[in-house]
Amino acid sequence: MIRTKILTSADIIVICAALVLLPWLYSHFWGDGSQGETARIQVADQTPMIIPLQHSQRYTFDGPLGSSIIEVQDGRIRFVESPCRNQLCVHSGWLQNDAEFAACLPNLISITIAGRNPRFDSINF
Amino acid sequence: MRGPTLLVTLLITALINGCGSSDINSEPFQQSQLLALGTLVDVSLWDVDTAQANQAIHDIDTQLHDLHHNWHSWLPGRLHDINAALAKGQAIEINDVELKLLQQAQQLAESSQHLFNPAIGQLIDLWGFHSDTPEGPPPASAAIQKLLLLQPRMSNLSFDDHTLSSNNTAVQLDMGAFAKGYAVDQAIELLKQRGINNAIVNAGGDLRAIGQRGERPWRIGIRHPKQPGIIAALETQGDESVFTSGNYERFFEYNGQRYHHIIDPRSGHPGSEALAVTVIHNNAAIADAAATALLIAGPKNWHNIAQQMGIHEAMLIDNELTAHLTRAMAQRIQLQHNINTVIEEPS
Repeated sequence: MIRTKILTSADIIVICAALVLLPWLYSHFWGDGSQGETARIQVADQTPMIIPLQHSQRYTFDGPLGSSIIEVQDGRIRFVESPCRNQLCVHSGWLQNDAEFAACLPNLISITIAGRNPRFDSINF
Repeated sequence: MRGPTLLVTLLITALINGCGSSDINSEPFQQSQLLALGTLVDVSLWDVDTAQANQAIHDIDTQLHDLHHNWHSWLPGRLHDINAALAKGQAIEINDVELKLLQQAQQLAESSQHLFNPAIGQLIDLWGFHSDTPEGPPPASAAIQKLLLLQPRMSNLSFDDHTLSSNNTAVQLDMGAFAKGYAVDQAIELLKQRGINNAIVNAGGDLRAIGQRGERPWRIGIRHPKQPGIIAALETQGDESVFTSGNYERFFEYNGQRYHHIIDPRSGHPGSEALAVTVIHNNAAIADAAATALLIAGPKNWHNIAQQMGIHEAMLIDNELTAHLTRAMAQRIQLQHNINTVIEEPS
């Protein structure tokens, strides 16, 4: 009597790999996309810069009043320093969810969080 | 390929293919940002030829710079010349655009019971807000009272054809609560004249949207007045402006107290009864003026003033973070936080 294996070793390897990959693939391609993944930095009328939020880093941007320092950490982003008087941008704190926004209008620098499928086309404030 | 392997392979393939549906780069969406009106201006366009879009953006940039120069509240320009003439009690010739804008401002001042009052330029200057970096200290009460007694109002202005004059030399125009709305209206009109009918012009947070984004309406988030993020969301319908006045926009702090730039023409001090007011109207200049007037009116009187100004869709966030909504606004807006709400009924 010949015994037929239902699963070969190769099948098991493929299925194990799939079990690992499937949750990631689902969340990556079919998730709600509302969690911010990138930040759009606008400095005056320059071309916007898109920054990934996965890599911790500090950036320095020069506006008309001077340098603003922006920090990325653990999927979040914030103004650390800015040369404006009111420091509204710094007090805005960490931004991490889609459409969250902070701006140093005196220094003409803004941060907008964007997921893959942004919830909003424009922010009113 | 064996059954289980085939099934897994198909599943992975299907999931990966799914990513194509969320590729926003394939959408005919363009967003440009300009430095104009002393702020950042976003222009969002849907399904517009790139060359046509670039030309329109360039022309809007020129248009906004001209408006900024002409109507700047304290730098030399056309408004500066008009104010100089009014201060001397002299009449001055104005053009069609200036006539239309000032007459509209006069009507809005009247309907707002002068809570929207662009004639109080001296008072705003006294508080130090005719500066890029207002810093205090707040003015002395005696100086405020002296200006209040002069009662500068838009009704002091009279128009004889294209000749402007005033019967009160205390009138000094400050179009800060109106000019941005007017500028946004002009930018949208330019786009419409070019056949561009799906767009948003957002000037420093205040916007007018026309058409829609493909098959769906434009989606707007209204910023929370006290913390990062969005307090409410709405979808625009056809051609609508969404303007918010808030006490967090321009201010200075002195001895630990915050003084914002929206001055109550009755008291001569910054309005203190609300955090923010959002108004929806098809005309951005009207929405701009109304948002200022309703913020000054505060929670007790805002609904009455809104009715007089012909505003049907408005939301006021008071100092306790309660959202006061007109009935029409309540039907449009989706609050994103669990906050108290009061729906105002027409009286």
